[in-house]
Amino acid sequence: MTSKLLTSILRNHLTKKPNLLRRQPFSTAAAEALSDPPQNHEETTSGITMKGVKIAGRPLYLDVQATSPVDPRVLDAMLPFYLSRYGNPHSRTHFYGWESDNAVEHARSQVASLINASPKEIVFTSGATESNNISIKGVMHFYKEKKKHVITLQTEHKCVLDSCRHLQQEGFDVTYLPVEKDGLVDLEKLKSAIRPDTGLVSIMAVNNEIGVVQPMEEIGKICKEFNVPFHTDAAQALGKIVIDVDKWNVSLMSLSGHKIYAPKGIGALYLRRRPRIRVEPQMNGGGQERGIRSGTLPTPLVVGMGAACEVAMKEMEYDEKRISALQQRLLNGIRSKLDGVEVNGSMESRYVGNLNLSFAYVEGESLLMGLKEVAVSSGSACTSASLEPSYVLRALGVEEDMAHTSIRFGIGRFTTEEEIDRAIHLTVHQVEKLREMSPLYEMVKEGINIKDIQWSQH
Amino acid sequence: MAAAASSPSPSQILSLARSFIRVSRQFPDYNIREYTKRRAIDAFRQNAKLSEPSSISEAFSFGKSQLDVAKRQAVVYSLYVPPLPSVMDLPNKPF
Repeated sequence: MTSKLLTSILRNHLTKKPNLLRRQPFSTAAAEALSDPPQNHEETTSGITMKGVKIAGRPLYLDVQATSPVDPRVLDAMLPFYLSRYGNPHSRTHFYGWESDNAVEHARSQVASLINASPKEIVFTSGATESNNISIKGVMHFYKEKKKHVITLQTEHKCVLDSCRHLQQEGFDVTYLPVEKDGLVDLEKLKSAIRPDTGLVSIMAVNNEIGVVQPMEEIGKICKEFNVPFHTDAAQALGKIVIDVDKWNVSLMSLSGHKIYAPKGIGALYLRRRPRIRVEPQMNGGGQERGIRSGTLPTPLVVGMGAACEVAMKEMEYDEKRISALQQRLLNGIRSKLDGVEVNGSMESRYVGNLNLSFAYVEGESLLMGLKEVAVSSGSACTSASLEPSYVLRALGVEEDMAHTSIRFGIGRFTTEEEIDRAIHLTVHQVEKLREMSPLYEMVKEGINIKDIQWSQH
Repeated sequence: MAAAASSPSPSQILSLARSFIRVSRQFPDYNIREYTKRRAIDAFRQNAKLSEPSSISEAFSFGKSQLDVAKRQAVVYSLYVPPLPSVMDLPNKPF
C-alpha cells in the first residue's frame, strides 16, 4: 500500500512538465557521474537545430526496417539482469551463474519455438551480420574440399554479398542470380544454376529494402531435391511472417534482435541437427555455444531477444491485421492525391509493413530533406551513406531517375493511424511542392514525352 | 495470486480495463502510450467472447501481470524523458 503511494508520488514528482533546460533530479545525478555526449545541436524552447535542420519535436518514426523501438515488455524482462542478476551464464559454481544460465536457456527455447525448431539448434550471436558471416564463410570453409560454389541473389543484404566477395577472393565460385521485375527469384534459373559442387544457396526470406517475400517453400524443395544446404537471412521475417524451418527445409537461418523490438547487439543462428550441418567457427575461444561462437553471452540481451520472440508469437496475428490495414491506408492516401507513384517490388508477395514507393519527376534527396518531421529512409541504412541509388532497385530494373527517388516507409507495431495520416499529408505536400518547381514535370503536363528529347551537351 | 483463482466479477474486469487506460496516460512516449491503450482495449474486446470460467480467470490473471509490467515501465519511461516530445504530441497546425 505504501509502496504504491510512494510510486505514485515519485511519478507525479518526476512527470511534471519539465522546463526544457532544467534537468530532472535523477538524471542530474547521472549527468554528474557520466558526461553527456557532446551535443552538437542547440536546444531552444521551440525546437532543436541539428545538421542545419530545425525541427520542433522528435520526428514520427516510419523506418522500422532499419531498427525498431524496444518493446516495454522486453525492457521489463531485461532490467533485472542489469541490476541484480548480473552473473556470467558460464559460471558453473555459484548461484549467479546458475540463474543466468537458466535465463539464457529459457530465452533459447523462446526463440526456438517461434521458428518451430529445437532449442539445441539455436546459437546466439551478436546480430544477423555475424550469423550471416558464420553461415556463409563457415559452411564453405568446412566443406571446401568438395564444394566450391555458392548461389545467392543480387538483392541480398550487404553482409551476404560482402562475405561472398571474400569467398571469391579465396577462390570459390559465386553465382549472383538476377531477380524478376517484382523482386522474386525465378525458380527455373535457380535450378539451372545448381552444380554438383554447389555448397550453399543463400536467399533472404523478406528483403529489407523492398519487402518482397521469396517463395521459401519452393526453394526449399529444390534444395532438398539437389541436396544443397539452404541458408536464409530471416532478420526481417522473424516474428512477422510464419516461419517453419521444417516446411522451408532450411539448414541455416540468421535471426536479428533489433528488428523484432528487442535490443540491438543480439541475434541468433539456427543450425539444423538432422541432417547435421557443420560450420567452421569464426570466433575462437572458450568453446561456448557448442564451439560455434565463443564468448560470454550477454545475458540481458539474450533475455531480451527471448522475451521479444515470445511477445511476437502472441502478437503476430493482431499486428499483421493492423499493419496491413495501415499499409492500405498509406498507399491509398498517397495514390488518391498524387499520380506517378510506383510501388517497387511485388504487391502480392510482400511483407505488409514495408512500402517502397518511387515518385516520378522528383529528386530523392530533396524529398527526404523536406520530410524532416518523418523519419523514413531511401534505400537501406547500410547503403544510404553513398550517393548511388540502391543496388536492390537497380537489380529490379528500376530506371535511374525512379531509383533515386524511392522512399521506404516502414510500418510497425507502434505506428498509429494519425501518424500515417500525417505522413501522407507531409509527403503529398512535399512532392507537390517539388513537382511545381520541376521543369520536367511541366513538360510532361504539356504532353511532351521525356524519352524523345535530345538533350544537347554544353 | 490465490484470490484470482476464482472467476473475476464484471466489475473487477471493468476496473482492470480502466487501470490500463489510466496507466497508459502516464507514458511520456507517444507511441507506447497509444499502443498500451489500444492493445488493452482490443484485448478486452476480444476476450469478452470467452465463456469458460477457467479461461476467463486465466485471461484476467494475464491481464493483471501485464498491468504490473505497464506500471513499472511507466515509471522507467518517465525517468528518462527526452527533452523534446514527439511531433505528434505538439499542438500542430491544422491541415
